[in-house]
Amino acid sequence: MNDRILLATFAHEDDLLAATAAVRAAGHPIVDVFTPYAVHGLDRAMGLRPSRLTWVCFVCGMVGAVGMLVFQHWTAAISWPLNVGGKPWNSLPAHVPVAFEAAVLLAGFGSVFALLWVSRLFPGRQARLVAPRVTDDRFVLAVDASGPGIDRATLERVVGQFDSLAIEEQTPRTGGKASC
Amino acid sequence: MTAESEAIRVQYPWLARLAVVGIGIMAVGCLVAPDRLWPNLLLGAYYVLTLALGGAVFVALTDVSGAGWHVAFRRVPEALARLLPLASLLLAIVLLLGMGRYGWPHDGDHVPGTFRFKELWLTPTFWAARTVGYLVFWMWLARSITARSAAQDQPGSTAETAANVRLSALFLAIYAVTFSLASIDWIMALEPLWFSTMWGVYHFAGMFQSTLAVVILLALAWRQDHGPLAGIFRDDHLHDLGRLLLGFSCFWMYIWFCQYMLIWYSNLPEETSYFITRTHGPWGPVVIASVVLNWLLPFFLLLPKPAKRSAGAMARIAVLVLIGRWVDLYVMIFPATLTATDAQGVVHALPPTFGIWEAATLLGLATATAFCLSRTFLARPPVPRSDPFLREPSLAPCNSGSLP
Repeated sequence: MNDRILLATFAHEDDLLAATAAVRAAGHPIVDVFTPYAVHGLDRAMGLRPSRLTWVCFVCGMVGAVGMLVFQHWTAAISWPLNVGGKPWNSLPAHVPVAFEAAVLLAGFGSVFALLWVSRLFPGRQARLVAPRVTDDRFVLAVDASGPGIDRATLERVVGQFDSLAIEEQTPRTGGKASC
Repeated sequence: MTAESEAIRVQYPWLARLAVVGIGIMAVGCLVAPDRLWPNLLLGAYYVLTLALGGAVFVALTDVSGAGWHVAFRRVPEALARLLPLASLLLAIVLLLGMGRYGWPHDGDHVPGTFRFKELWLTPTFWAARTVGYLVFWMWLARSITARSAAQDQPGSTAETAANVRLSALFLAIYAVTFSLASIDWIMALEPLWFSTMWGVYHFAGMFQSTLAVVILLALAWRQDHGPLAGIFRDDHLHDLGRLLLGFSCFWMYIWFCQYMLIWYSNLPEETSYFITRTHGPWGPVVIASVVLNWLLPFFLLLPKPAKRSAGAMARIAVLVLIGRWVDLYVMIFPATLTATDAQGVVHALPPTFGIWEAATLLGLATATAFCLSRTFLARPPVPRSDPFLREPSLAPCNSGSLP
């Protein structure tokens, strides 16, 4: 998709945050931002839409809770009624702990596996690092420079005031998605 | 005084007037209907005391964990903590007035042998001495912590900050034990033959949940109309408090259900008496209301992120939680104190009532507490300006809404 990508490197998260906001305000498309750790406020600076993972988590949790309540009711009151201490067949309080645990379990697993699926993360996946030091102490802002109106000099003007260490051009080695 | 503080000060007269009206009706109630008013007084005094204590616990917890996110609005829970002497005095008077209403065998009643320890534990003198001990200990440490926080406003030294970490650790360790015992002595002892080992943690859950709701309400009130926290209490702080409120709503429900389920499951007569009174008959809907207000509504309303960042939504949810706390305490206290004896000599709980005495106590204590809190809060600088944790991250623009 992008045949030209400009990479601006920073040493501090504050510079990166400000530069990302400035690049976005200038109307240049941001491919992605690479950081060694989660930087607070970066999602807003990049203009990312709210994560849909919360909905996956909520739906999975609800499926776990309701599913387990129905299943326990079916086993204990319909399919094979059990007399436990003379309690009624459909003893809701006794079914709540398992429903709660199932809700937590499914919400947790659902979120993690949905994240891995969306990020295409699986064992043996080759890491494609935009620069080796983004796993250590450098922050890299990747800007799509394939369109008109942006080149190295333009980007330098926008991010130069935020102490960018270097601006390099990179052509993606593969044709795949550069974002993750 | 700046124009900003004027906006707060003009709230004083109507708060004070309402408080005077409420307390006036309460005073009449003390003479006309003492049996009905005393449970109200116990509920109100215990409610206010746990809010003040909750403020101290909030400050102590954040101190020992080295938290920095809350420093910008820390004076709000500190204002709560500084209300402890007044709240303690109120509760001590209420307990003194009502000592005869506790069901301990002060008339030489015969109690079953298994309750021998309880009989000794609830000896009135020992009970009163413990009460004084708890209150004095809490007041002393809460005062030490808030006084050091005020001393810290003079720049130059971090000695007070370090001292507060040690004091907070001491406070939390002893608080955990004393508050458990206090909740047993003051509320569970209303029905001296009944017991629950979840009681202490159940009360902690309700205490911390309602404290968070009050901190949210006060911080929002002092932020609006260019109040003292305008531009200081940010949406990020509100978001974090919202997450905590969501978490502690779930914690309250978890503990409530643990207590209920274990008693329901084992079905022992001496344990089920509490829930048979409350979940069967006219008190049932009130129990359901407390669960709906304390957990069901806050849980679903607080789940979406925009709700936790919206002042209007958070204020409404905080009010729901505070009403829920009242209903929760109402369910604990009223069936145990408002009782009638039938022809066979069996004691029954009266059905739930809400009339002039409940309304007057609510009005009087809520407005008096709000009035005292405003005065306490405004008596000191609204921000601990020399706290080493203030600049980062509590006031830094990270995670802020100022970015596009």
